[in-house]
Amino acid sequence: MATKQLVTMKGTKEGLVLKLDDQCGFADLLDALQSTKVVTQHDDDEHLDVQIHLGNRYCTHEKLKQLLQAVEETQHVTVSKIKSDVLTVEESNQRVLKHQSSTYIGIVRSGQVLKIEGDVVIIGDVNPNGRVEATGSIFVLGRVKGIVHAGKGGNREAVIVASWLEATHLMVDDVIEIMTNETTILSEQPEMECAYLHDNGHIVIDRLQNLRNIRPNLATFKGGS
Amino acid sequence: MGEAIVITSGKGGVGKTTTSANLGTALALQGRKVCLVDTDIGLRNLDVILGLENRIIYDLVDVVEGRCKVHQALVKDKRFDELLFLLPAAQTSDKTAVTPQQMKELVDGLKQEFDFVLIDCPAGIEQGYKNAVAGADKAIVVTTPEISAVRDADRIIGLLEQEPNVEAPKLIINRIRPDMMDRGETLDVNEITTHLSIELLGIIPDDEHVIASSNKGEPIVMDPSSVASKAYRNIVRRVLGESVPLMTLDKQKPGFFAKLKAMFKK
Repeated sequence: MATKQLVTMKGTKEGLVLKLDDQCGFADLLDALQSTKVVTQHDDDEHLDVQIHLGNRYCTHEKLKQLLQAVEETQHVTVSKIKSDVLTVEESNQRVLKHQSSTYIGIVRSGQVLKIEGDVVIIGDVNPNGRVEATGSIFVLGRVKGIVHAGKGGNREAVIVASWLEATHLMVDDVIEIMTNETTILSEQPEMECAYLHDNGHIVIDRLQNLRNIRPNLATFKGGS
Repeated sequence: MGEAIVITSGKGGVGKTTTSANLGTALALQGRKVCLVDTDIGLRNLDVILGLENRIIYDLVDVVEGRCKVHQALVKDKRFDELLFLLPAAQTSDKTAVTPQQMKELVDGLKQEFDFVLIDCPAGIEQGYKNAVAGADKAIVVTTPEISAVRDADRIIGLLEQEPNVEAPKLIINRIRPDMMDRGETLDVNEITTHLSIELLGIIPDDEHVIASSNKGEPIVMDPSSVASKAYRNIVRRVLGESVPLMTLDKQKPGFFAKLKAMFKK
């Protein structure tokens, strides 16, 4: 009986690609990977990178590990990348949240805590002891006199931008900068400024006009002239 | 049906009780029927400032717990013919003796009979504050030109803005010392209003007559010559919907006789 080949190899611009069938059972696929040597014509000592394409198959972390093990042991190659065409709803939601931007109109007053997934635009002030926490960047069209925490939970690219930056505490990811009297002098005029995490591991304040050079990737605007 | 206004500040000692007593008295002077409610259970003061301390028989907790009718607990101020009443707080219990729900029912009942129900709120943001705010339709936030008082006012405004039944709070800046403000030693009126960004209802200059008259049990508004009295009267006119310009705080220039006197003193 001519069975359908479950594993096919393709050479592409990016290198060798192992295409795995996405309709058969997982056990069959694993069997196929372990029994047949698909990647031929190369010495076992030679180092070879391949990519795996899963197609429309969703694999949990455990299953991926089994696949990887099977491929690397039988085929004597190194897997550089695994690609899949499916996403769980949860993963998709997280991606959406990460890129969403919310708008808050009002004043964040003393004792209030604003927690946001993604970026936030605040039209109003952040008063002393008011706190804004966002997983993305924070843009304030007003005065920041309280505590602002951008990139909470690991986004070190996040920035804090304000028309008037007089925060008592600036935080990006897990780095904290307390704005003492000395550090406020760093910015002669707290008007129109941005704060970001510098490569040296400290939070740095700069004119907001310089942001396009500091974080060019923040721009999402396309087109125009 | 009247309206209930809570007078609050967050911080203690900024003049909530003095303001409540004076606004109440000034409203009565304008011919409105006013009930002052002291919600500072355990630390009552409003009765002392109004000079009604020795006329208290029942109090707010007695009413709530059904030991007497509201009318029995209301203390009438005899200086104002049937216009000014006080519902005193209990001195022997504490803030937990009353729940916000009970306060709301009580204030709703009083609103049927009075033009204004002024609720004097205790300091803090705990149970006492929650009780005081429960029945209110409007709120007045009192602050002084000190950073600590302004911070607490900011916190209180934030909490008041979360209350669905209370209109946007209005601000009174109390105990202003114009000389210190001019020298930049305290926050100025503009700074405070932009920082808190709520409507300014009025400013009251620091006046030692206020303390003297409180000690006598006569609210300062009953003495028309004092500046603080004028300031309170202006605020009341604004509460009643008139538009009154903000009073200027310039030091009055010494008059001719004062100058003459000073010359002889030398």
